[in-house]
Amino acid sequence: MRVVTIAIHTFKESVRQKVLYNLVAFALLLIGASILFGSISVGVERIILITLGLTSISVFGLLIAIFIGIDLVSKEIERRTIYNILSKPVTRVEFVLGKYLGLLLTLLVNTGIMTAGFYAALYYQKRTLGPEDLVFLGAVYFILLQLAMVVGVALVFSCISTPVLSAVYTFCLFVIGNFSADLRAFGQQTENALLGTACGALYYALPNFANFNVISEVAHAQKIPGYLWVGNSLYALLYITILLGLAILIFEEREFR
Amino acid sequence: MTSLHAFFSHPRSRRRACWLLVLLCFLCLIPLQRSLDLRGGSERALGEVLFLPSGRVLRQLSLGYDGLLADVYWTRVVQYFGGKRVAHSTEFKLLGPLLQITTVLDPHLIIAYRFGSIFLADKPPRGAGEPLEALALLHRGIVANPEYWRFWEDVGFVYYWDLKDYAAAARAFQAGSERPGAMTWMRALAAKVAAEGGELGTSKFLWSEIARQAGNEQIRKNAEEHLMAIQATEDIGKLNELVALYNQRQGQPPRSLQALVAAGYLRASPRDPSGKPYILDADGHVKLNPRSSVDLSLLQ
Repeated sequence: MRVVTIAIHTFKESVRQKVLYNLVAFALLLIGASILFGSISVGVERIILITLGLTSISVFGLLIAIFIGIDLVSKEIERRTIYNILSKPVTRVEFVLGKYLGLLLTLLVNTGIMTAGFYAALYYQKRTLGPEDLVFLGAVYFILLQLAMVVGVALVFSCISTPVLSAVYTFCLFVIGNFSADLRAFGQQTENALLGTACGALYYALPNFANFNVISEVAHAQKIPGYLWVGNSLYALLYITILLGLAILIFEEREFR
Repeated sequence: MTSLHAFFSHPRSRRRACWLLVLLCFLCLIPLQRSLDLRGGSERALGEVLFLPSGRVLRQLSLGYDGLLADVYWTRVVQYFGGKRVAHSTEFKLLGPLLQITTVLDPHLIIAYRFGSIFLADKPPRGAGEPLEALALLHRGIVANPEYWRFWEDVGFVYYWDLKDYAAAARAFQAGSERPGAMTWMRALAAKVAAEGGELGTSKFLWSEIARQAGNEQIRKNAEEHLMAIQATEDIGKLNELVALYNQRQGQPPRSLQALVAAGYLRASPRDPSGKPYILDADGHVKLNPRSSVDLSLLQ
């Protein structure tokens, strides 16, 4: 129950941030502009709208996830509210979980708004929406899973570093996580056994964000395979559990004076 | 329930449980990722598609980091080519466009023209089998880097090896030899190719020059492999002549190459450049040992 209360408070606090509105507004603007981009091209109007629209949701979702994720501990320390919270019968585990769920709710609402904007743009272009357009919700679901992992990463970094560095680290890890298949390929092709093993270990240890990228597939009206729905959901769940576990372990060790 | 609550209220127990959970999740993650990889996972593809096929557009989008982006694309070229080679694929559809993007992003990336032309010109499965595309790439390199005379050497090789156009090869070597800073042997190369194009001796001369001048380990190794193949071809030719001579003098073909040694035609059992002994097949023809690392197909 205390976790839910913290989550709701975190959500209320997050939605007060002006940067959030700016990002969502900019994302909606870009989604709207994708109609224009499509109209100056030939034969790919719909594809441009879908790829640019979903990419906007992903990119701005990523920015939102990083911005809200890095403030978790630092802001509480800065405002000295952490002392009030931890002096109450609230465990650090409940605090971290509540904060994470609150941030997740914020992401869910923002992604929902951007998705509504995307479907509005799609409706404007097609003048109709059909069951075949539901496939884009799958891509949005995967984006959300990806963002939930990014918030988890930001949360871990925010427990050990400053907000600016946490943002940099999280962004870097997101970039690396999108190239993890190359990391594995590099490990397989190198003749150095130690380097190969290290690359293989890193491939499994680092979050594999490339698993979740289905924007190109849905833009070409390809269905998302069933194994990917199950596999990605399970992967995100496991990885988020790992990240939350690490964040709790770090937060438990921290001393606030 | 109470004991569970008591367990988790203790910080050390909580930490242990947390570590255990993290470890368990991580252990589950590995087989899950493997299963995703097996089904296509992060390498799902829509076939071979380049979403941004224009180097010029990419250059604009790179916000001034076109040099870095060119390096990234060059790495992509190498990975793409290497991946295809490992998979024994004979189709290299994206090789040309990827090289085009790389060289538009950085027109002075010499290595992309030189290696790229080898990748493009070599016959499948060693390469894309597109010598004309390789020539176009090299000519773009020459336009962007007119002072780099070695492109002419590469042009000459494509004409010589892949198009078997010895006159054009000689002209390319000649044009290269006239560039400022060009090595003097380029002129000799032009003359030799013009006079004896297609001869094994000329090929040997060409690859010896490449091996001698190679500024790169891969190029040197490739030249050495070709030289070994040429040497083995020459050896097999000479050995076949000896077998024919033995047959003529003894009235029957030799049972093995040892018979040639025993009869005094050879001083020792002949070995190929990789050190493996040549063998005589049932038809009386000398051929490479199956364990030999010499690849005669390089000369086809």
